[in-house]
Amino acid sequence: MTSKSQPRATAELERGYRNMLLPAVFAVGIFAIVPLAGMLALSFSDYHLIRGTNWDFGFKNFVRLASDKRLMGSVYAMSVLSFFGVLTQVLIGAAIAVGLSKIVGKWRLGRVLFLLPYAVPHVAVALIWLSLFTPTLSPVNAFFDLFGITVPSFLTTQNGALLAIVMADTWTNFPFTMLIILAALQGISPDLEEAAALDGATRVQSFFYVTLPLLIPAFLMVTLFRFIDSLKHFPMIFVMTKGGPGRSTQATNYYAYIQTFQNSNVAYGAAIAVTLFIVAAFISFYVARLNQRITS
Amino acid sequence: MIDNTSSFRVKKAFGVTMMLVLLFFAALPTVWVLIMSFREQAAIFEPIWESPLAVTLDNYRGIARSDFPKALLNSFICAGSSTLLAMIVGVPAGFALAKSRLSGKFYASWLLLLLRMAPPVGFVIPLFLLYVNAGLIDTYFGLIVAYMTLTLPLIVWSMWNSFAQVPDELIEAAIMDGATLGKAFMQVALPAARPGAVAAAILGFLIVWNDFFYALIITRSSTVTAPVAVMNFISYDSVDWGSIAVASIALTLPILPLMVIANRYIVQSLSGAVKG
Repeated sequence: MTSKSQPRATAELERGYRNMLLPAVFAVGIFAIVPLAGMLALSFSDYHLIRGTNWDFGFKNFVRLASDKRLMGSVYAMSVLSFFGVLTQVLIGAAIAVGLSKIVGKWRLGRVLFLLPYAVPHVAVALIWLSLFTPTLSPVNAFFDLFGITVPSFLTTQNGALLAIVMADTWTNFPFTMLIILAALQGISPDLEEAAALDGATRVQSFFYVTLPLLIPAFLMVTLFRFIDSLKHFPMIFVMTKGGPGRSTQATNYYAYIQTFQNSNVAYGAAIAVTLFIVAAFISFYVARLNQRITS
Repeated sequence: MIDNTSSFRVKKAFGVTMMLVLLFFAALPTVWVLIMSFREQAAIFEPIWESPLAVTLDNYRGIARSDFPKALLNSFICAGSSTLLAMIVGVPAGFALAKSRLSGKFYASWLLLLLRMAPPVGFVIPLFLLYVNAGLIDTYFGLIVAYMTLTLPLIVWSMWNSFAQVPDELIEAAIMDGATLGKAFMQVALPAARPGAVAAAILGFLIVWNDFFYALIITRSSTVTAPVAVMNFISYDSVDWGSIAVASIALTLPILPLMVIANRYIVQSLSGAVKG
């Protein structure tokens, strides 16, 4: 190709790429941007399913948000669920990944067994754990009864209910962490650890000083992705606790649902959703930057 | 190097014990739901060791006779159609994003991530109001379109990562040989990224199959999907645990093979680079 025709060919190519992109841009515009714009508009309105609507726009939903004690409670519940859920998922997932790669070698069945919980749809996860936390039904309670130990009813206390959701969430999501960490572990050349061993490092030292630093991008990615998903908690709360006891497990996403679909206050629900959306926008910006740094 | 010191053996035993404990944690709910699905209704609240022989297929027969199979079919229809539509639109877009020199790709990646991470309640509120007014509540069309908000960003994002791993030279060579961009895409890039495309389709299918929230809000009885239909086994005064167990199994079994196939690619769909 001569140097003269190259710019023209490139321009033509770029036009081709743009045409391939166009349907998706169009579809994202319709399926995603339009609803989001609708949500934004609603959040400034006074739309109410029962009380009626005057289409009177303003900041009052956001003013109300700032002093809403139930919202603060929901942020607390969300934070507890996110923090402990992500923490246990990352720890358990990483432990299993290290175990699978080091202790058991290439044990494929083990990998599939540990993957299984990830395949169970969240509603089923919630129902199964609800059954495990129902004292009259649970085999765990029955087992401890044999020794005269009464397992407390988790779902009737505030912290117990939060813990129950964290456990169900951890059970279904640790395989995700496991997969990512396992893949990252397998991507590390064994030469590096051998070199460390030749230099006189113990296994523990080489794990902490050679392997672990190389896993940091994977850990970071997994933590961020799990954290963002944890902001969307819904089926487990809906099935296991309905936000209770009291309002103790009413995480923010669930609270927005309650305001919109139970209290019929659509405008206020939308304002809560917008707030969550802004949080997600900040985090996803950071993730996108991180991803760009890793890939380039 | 074989390390046989006793301290190493202690550590190894500790590791194996840990793995067994974790395996127990991973397996208990699965084993329990299988047991529950075969228990007689009358015996379900008894400890299993008191009536180990109270085994029956009634729960399975009951599910087969209920509306649940239709809900499973609805799930298949919605997950299949919205994934197919999103693939048709999203695969070329992923290719274009991976290979073109367009500016603003960073913002495209941000937008895709944001759409994936945005709280579903934000999409559902306006969709619900729109659907109520347009008569789209409880229609396949409405549900499939709504699910595009889940599948499209996921598929574009993961195809972007897959195509990024196809060497640029391959496509440049095809174009030098006189192929059009469309041909280079169909005959060179797409075959090279086929595992990624299969994985993207599977992930799209799974995300819809799993969905509870959208279906809860925008379906009623006729297009209700399986995750919402399970809730019918819970009434105000009683919970039909046997049926719930069978329904949970029925919800999981169809996607289990997909999960086993796709698990290697879940990593890729996040980011090609995390692989290490």
